[in-house]
Amino acid sequence: MNEVGTIGLIAALAFAAYGVIAGALGGKLRSPRMVKSAERAAAAFFVSITLAIVALETQILTDNFHNAYVAAHSNRDLPLYYKIAVLWAGQEGSLLFWTWLLSIYGGLAVLLNRRKNRQLMPYVVAILMGTGVFFSSITFFVANPFGELSMVSAAGLQAFQPADGNGLNPLLQYHSMVIHPPMLYLGYVGFAVPFAFAMAALITRQLGDNWIRTTRRWTMVPWMFLGTGILLGGRWAYSVLGWGGYWGWDPVENASLLPWLAGTAFLHSVMIQEKRGMLKVWNIVLVITTFFLCIFGTFLTRSGIVSSVHAFAQSNIGPFFAVFLGIVLFFAVSLLFLRLEFLKSENKLDSMVSRESGFLFNNWILLAAVFAVLWGTIFPIISKAIEGQTVTVGAPFFNRVAVPIGLLLLLLTGAGPLLAWRKTSFQSLKRNFTLPLAVAVVVGAALFAGGIRHFYAWMSLFLCAFVAVCILQEFYKGARTRQKTGGENFLQAIYNLTMRNTRRYGGYVVHLGIVLLFVGFAGQAFQAKTKGLMQEGDELRLKDYVLRCSNIVSGDTPNYSYQKIQLEVSKDGRALGTLDPDRRFYKASQQPTSHVAIRSSLTEDLYTVLAGQDPDSGKAIVEVFVNPLVAWVWIGGFVTFLGTLLAMVPSRVERQMAEMRQAQEVAVRASNAL
Amino acid sequence: MRFRLAFVLLLALATLGAGPARAVDPRPTVESIGEHVMCLCGCVAILNHCPHLNCSMQAEMRATIQKALDEGKDEPAILQLLSQQYGVKVLAAPPTQGFNLAAWILPGLGLALGLGLVVVIVRRWRGLRQAPASAETSPDVDPKLLAAVEEEIKTSGLGMRE
Repeated sequence: MNEVGTIGLIAALAFAAYGVIAGALGGKLRSPRMVKSAERAAAAFFVSITLAIVALETQILTDNFHNAYVAAHSNRDLPLYYKIAVLWAGQEGSLLFWTWLLSIYGGLAVLLNRRKNRQLMPYVVAILMGTGVFFSSITFFVANPFGELSMVSAAGLQAFQPADGNGLNPLLQYHSMVIHPPMLYLGYVGFAVPFAFAMAALITRQLGDNWIRTTRRWTMVPWMFLGTGILLGGRWAYSVLGWGGYWGWDPVENASLLPWLAGTAFLHSVMIQEKRGMLKVWNIVLVITTFFLCIFGTFLTRSGIVSSVHAFAQSNIGPFFAVFLGIVLFFAVSLLFLRLEFLKSENKLDSMVSRESGFLFNNWILLAAVFAVLWGTIFPIISKAIEGQTVTVGAPFFNRVAVPIGLLLLLLTGAGPLLAWRKTSFQSLKRNFTLPLAVAVVVGAALFAGGIRHFYAWMSLFLCAFVAVCILQEFYKGARTRQKTGGENFLQAIYNLTMRNTRRYGGYVVHLGIVLLFVGFAGQAFQAKTKGLMQEGDELRLKDYVLRCSNIVSGDTPNYSYQKIQLEVSKDGRALGTLDPDRRFYKASQQPTSHVAIRSSLTEDLYTVLAGQDPDSGKAIVEVFVNPLVAWVWIGGFVTFLGTLLAMVPSRVERQMAEMRQAQEVAVRASNAL
Repeated sequence: MRFRLAFVLLLALATLGAGPARAVDPRPTVESIGEHVMCLCGCVAILNHCPHLNCSMQAEMRATIQKALDEGKDEPAILQLLSQQYGVKVLAAPPTQGFNLAAWILPGLGLALGLGLVVVIVRRWRGLRQAPASAETSPDVDPKLLAAVEEEIKTSGLGMRE
């Protein structure tokens, strides 16, 4: 199977290289045959990489430990769903997976544009295949997952197959880890498509709104996947790392946040170009920045230049990524400068208080967040290079720097959509903001009276109330208007309103999801925790909770042995059930890990960890956290996901226009035939 | 002038907002200090968040903090002690001295400069919109032609619409 995989990789590399040449030449010479050939190369690239994926996954599932990658990351007793995830658990496999996802995106871009964007497509294929050349080269030459184990014996070099593999990293043996990396990669890789369209638009000078309209959904899809991947990563950290939180500002976490923030700025900024023909240069800059940050994030995760809980083992792929990043930046920025004259704004700003300026400020905040997080993430490298001193830039730094920026962004989440295009009158401001502000003031006062003195948490909840009312008010006003004019009932009106303009109201749902996320973030300020030594019959108290150890049991599975503590939980004297956090010792990797047990509700999580065993007393060390409002983080993430899906659904108006266009085309074809 | 004033004010706010000043815990505990230092076992996590079971490094560092607390040291003194003992990398955030001050200042500065840029862009855009209205600021327009057009508008009554 290693031979099959290797053949797949070589073929993929060849097809990608051919796709670059045929695409670029086909576009330049305006040769439909050559363009068709380039598109077929993109399809062949997908087939070849799929062959390599099948070859590796087959070896993982059949425990072929002759393959060095399988031996390093899997073992016989690993459950099937974790075996599937072994594909992206290590450097080599995950790079192959990255390349495969790129081939899927490339294939889909070709398929969905076979009858449109014909001038752009040759270059879109060339750019995507160029990225494919880089990733398939890295996978083939530098981090090849089809290496074989061998040993030197008297008879010379012989194939070697160990009886079992080293096993999957225990920290990765958690259900959300099966889906978290694919989601994240779908995000990272997907941003290659808008980048390719932007570059193609620059090359062909087709810099109207067409490339923007075409790439909107191509941007929303990876944005949604990346956001979901980030949250699933947070869920994994919350459930596995055992420190009671979900976001630690680790460099690799930051690396995933950076393109998401830049992509968010782009998704907002494109609206100004669509509506007013403004910010054309800026939109190109944002696409380049987002793609650059995707590759930069991959580089950070894999080069070992920063220390991280999540980073892959140190490897020699860093310089290759650095060169690729340099090429991408040079190519994209040069092209942008060469085409500046075609990117002039069609309109000017009419008022400081307008939707346009709201988007500008939104972009300012998002890019400031990108800069702050990027700066903090790379500062240790800069400090080491300049001062020769290793410093750490961890959560205390980012919490101080990023939280105020986040709160400004939250404010704009509510205020921005209520501003009118071109100019917002004072009357309109008064009409739109009086109720949200009044509700926010009441909520703020109630929170203060309730004893909340943590400034950022208070401000976050105050702004959440403001933004939530801003958004709900928009739904209410729209629905009331429909009720008056169309005689619909309220729910019908809400449904029809949303489906008539999915983009706008889907966006509002996303904003509502962001509000819920911030409600969850605010709760973190009120975390309470305790730690104690326990044996059967012992009790531990935290806030109103009492945890009584009813039993400590040990057990064994083929994959790991475990020790589990059973904690009977009661609150205010009322029994709430049992929590049983455990610690596991994985046999193949010989590594211990803990699995937390959580009792979750909308108001707070009771979070328990079996942290170890006291060497003196032999008692179990138990850590207990009360984490208020955490559930809203996951709910907010889900709402954001749904909102993004909704915004991608073609609205009724869009569908009607598409049908009209189709009817026109049919009529033209019919008249031509006659 | 108003813009400049607002800009300077926001620059100051941004720099202060992102500044290093943090309220020092008057009654520090091992837990509270453990949120501001790193575990040096190789886990790359905050001391309180080390994911390793029975981590010996975590235990050693916590014991050092406890000993310093027992001696009556306050939070800055304990952080200083840890920094001397394990190197500056033990601190979860860069110190506010020398080159490391740049870590704290630049995000605020970036925020303020970004705002300045947005304000400049907005003013420029608005200025450009207004520019053609003035012959003095539009040297490309022939004043005679402009006068003729204005006369034409007057006589045709088009100007009355406004």
